[in-house]
Amino acid sequence: MASEFTFPSLDWLQAVREVFNTTDMYRGAGSGRCDCVVGLKIEGAVFIVEFEGFGCTGVRQANEAELENVDFYLDMPYELWKSMLENISANNHAIGEFTLNTLDLGMEQGIAHSKHEDQYRQDLFVRYNQTMQFFFDASHRISTTFEEIVAS
Amino acid sequence: MTSSKTNGNLPDLDLGWMDQHGPWDTHAEPGKYGFTLADIQIGEYGQVPEESNNQTGRPRGSKPRANSMRLGGYTVRTKSDIWLENASFLYEEALQRQWSSATDVPWESIKPLPDDVEQAQCQMATFLTEVEFVAGDVPARWISSTTPDYFEARQVLLAQVMDESRHMDVFRKRALANGGGLMRATGATAGFVGGIDLSRDFTEMSSRLHISGEGAVLTIFRMGELMAYNDAEKTIYRLCAQDEARHVAFGVMHLRYMSQNEPDRREEIHSYLDEAEGSMLTDAANPAGRLTQTSESLCILLGGGSDKFDEGFRKLVAIRRRQLQEYRKRVISAGFGDRFDNGRSRLNELMAQAAA
Amino acid sequence: MADSQTGTKSAGDSRPMDIPEPKFNWMNQSRQWGTRVTPDKKGLTLDKTNVGIYGEVPQRWGDQGRNPRGAIPVKGALPIGYSVTQKTELWADCAAELYEEAIQRRWAPATDVPWSSIQPLPNDVEVAICQVCTEILQYANIDIEVLTNWQHRMSYGYHEVKQFLATASLDAARRYEAFRKRALINGGGLGLEPTGQANRFLLESRGGWTETVAGLALIRTLFVATVCEYLYKHSYNDAERVVYSFVIQDLARLLTYGVEHLKFSLAHDDERRGSVITMIAIGLGMFARDLRDPVLREALAIVFGGGISGARNEGMSIYYDLIEDFRERHLAMRRWLDLPADAATMPRAFRPRDQN
Repeated sequence: MASEFTFPSLDWLQAVREVFNTTDMYRGAGSGRCDCVVGLKIEGAVFIVEFEGFGCTGVRQANEAELENVDFYLDMPYELWKSMLENISANNHAIGEFTLNTLDLGMEQGIAHSKHEDQYRQDLFVRYNQTMQFFFDASHRISTTFEEIVAS
Repeated sequence: MTSSKTNGNLPDLDLGWMDQHGPWDTHAEPGKYGFTLADIQIGEYGQVPEESNNQTGRPRGSKPRANSMRLGGYTVRTKSDIWLENASFLYEEALQRQWSSATDVPWESIKPLPDDVEQAQCQMATFLTEVEFVAGDVPARWISSTTPDYFEARQVLLAQVMDESRHMDVFRKRALANGGGLMRATGATAGFVGGIDLSRDFTEMSSRLHISGEGAVLTIFRMGELMAYNDAEKTIYRLCAQDEARHVAFGVMHLRYMSQNEPDRREEIHSYLDEAEGSMLTDAANPAGRLTQTSESLCILLGGGSDKFDEGFRKLVAIRRRQLQEYRKRVISAGFGDRFDNGRSRLNELMAQAAA
Repeated sequence: MADSQTGTKSAGDSRPMDIPEPKFNWMNQSRQWGTRVTPDKKGLTLDKTNVGIYGEVPQRWGDQGRNPRGAIPVKGALPIGYSVTQKTELWADCAAELYEEAIQRRWAPATDVPWSSIQPLPNDVEVAICQVCTEILQYANIDIEVLTNWQHRMSYGYHEVKQFLATASLDAARRYEAFRKRALINGGGLGLEPTGQANRFLLESRGGWTETVAGLALIRTLFVATVCEYLYKHSYNDAERVVYSFVIQDLARLLTYGVEHLKFSLAHDDERRGSVITMIAIGLGMFARDLRDPVLREALAIVFGGGISGARNEGMSIYYDLIEDFRERHLAMRRWLDLPADAATMPRAFRPRDQN
């Protein structure tokens, strides 16, 4: 039986990264070279995901201050993270309102943010949108359990 | 050179050219992710002149011939007129992220739509077919006027011409794929003064095309997922948005380079931005602007039908505001943010007008 | 509720907003509604969209804007200034197919070439290869400038050709990139700037695209394709083989477009015949002057012969085989186009060895 990974956790991100890096379907249309550093803010937890060349080169736990240095970070309520991942799991990829782009558009302030307010770097969310989507779509290949997080 | 023949009718060799070459013993090395343009920016081959006297079109770094004729006629031969720091990277990214409208779009996912929605899709597709290739025609013209000493920037623009060609093609396909057809053109890119076509300077053109024009269209492409009715349309908009974001990145990075290296031209650039802001909500080239056929189409698509026009209009207003916010941040990123502090920009006024 | 004074109504939103009354006056305006093109095993290709009025390609496209073919044109728009407006001036039936083929066969020099297969070569061979690379990348530069100089002048009604040329100019950008990379990877560098007589006639044939195509396809493209075929046969590593084979494919498309366009143009515009024949004669004359320069000839001979010692006999003999192949292919194309095809009228540089 496949291992279960708890979201959010470093183990979960590493498992997703492994699938993303080794699955051909994530090299299809819209993929390609992607160099950027992405933050994930999931209630109180912060993670950094690094993309370089054609793959995800690293994931690590971080703290709020480190979001100053990422190109952009994704921040949305935990329930939305959970709904997005459940949607991906049910459909093998995000559909409808649960694609990253649609989630970003659906919220007043969006889900992609930056501390530096540099739109050039924030636009990387759009330039590499399909790569970001493929990364989270890869989560359908792992078994995810959800742990409620107490907001900090 | 000898023309004497030896070995039957074979001429002897001159070989004098073998000692005439650019810097030698060059060992460019592929990086982790292939052998990129950045990997060959080494030694003198990576040195980009501030002014280019290359009128023969010779490759940068090759040994000039004294008797070569001037044939380039290049008008862009000052580095700051076209340069950006990350051109090599954008070019490689563009090549890696090419896609096919024929085979990468799940066309079979398109199913019959209510007539009003199909008409709105077709009107938007007609508009995008019409305007997308302004960003192909115009960069092409500038490529042929730019010295090859700045080939990295030209390569990005060549990739952009290809991207725009694909955009023109994919929206034509969409218009004809679902029982509809092309509708009425808008004339949005006609040859008026201040238009992209008629720019007399590359930076002027880039500020109009990449910053205000494509910046606005990028927001529309991103919003495309909100007005897509099937996976084919979502795919189209998402992939077009990636392409468009590269083009906008070119403009931001070029303006930034210009801002840092040609302070004397800052006022001039501000004038272009003044002009862009003046027409941002009224320009027919902005589909979220006030032109009836595009704005009403968007309202139908965003709302979910002509009977939900009001709901669609609210989303359209959100798009307009987002366009303006993103424009503001890109201009700041490009180094011209002072206009938002010193009262020169009309953006606050435009934000208030967005709902009109 | 509609406001009779302003034509707006309150949306009843938490944020007060006047919503304009929609006009919908753009709806139900299509010249051919009910079109439904569908993908086949090749996907939804551009040629598939040529159904009904959308496939009617007029002999003359007088619209000076970017009105998509088949859409309802806008009246009163200021002209952009397209100058290539006749079908006979640019058309080739295969353009749409070549466009899609180019996209499907795209490649990236950074990642699709096994650069690590290049190992140190004898110095004379490396010098020669670097010189050949310098020549071909200069040719690619001219291709870029010629293509982009014409693209923006071509009427929108012939979008298939504009789109194909967008792929052709990106192909040329890749050639420029790939040969520059090859020159800089193996201890060499760029060589001596090429002579470029033929470049002048390609750039200066401002009178007509058809005449430019005659020189670009029947002389320049055919020659470079033939050179690459020979280089492929005499390559030193897998990287070079891959580059040459990709480039041959790319050039084959440009050649196909060129020949098919000339066929179409000559069949429908008898007055073109004379200028095309003249253009070819001038082009061959200038190209012959280029070939009298020993640099490219000797560099190729060294590559083919495995070094200077092998160049004198075997290498130069292969070079003349190449020239003969070029000549025969060139003449075959002229015969196919029903143009005069007498080898005796060609400059000496192209005549059979025993007549030279």
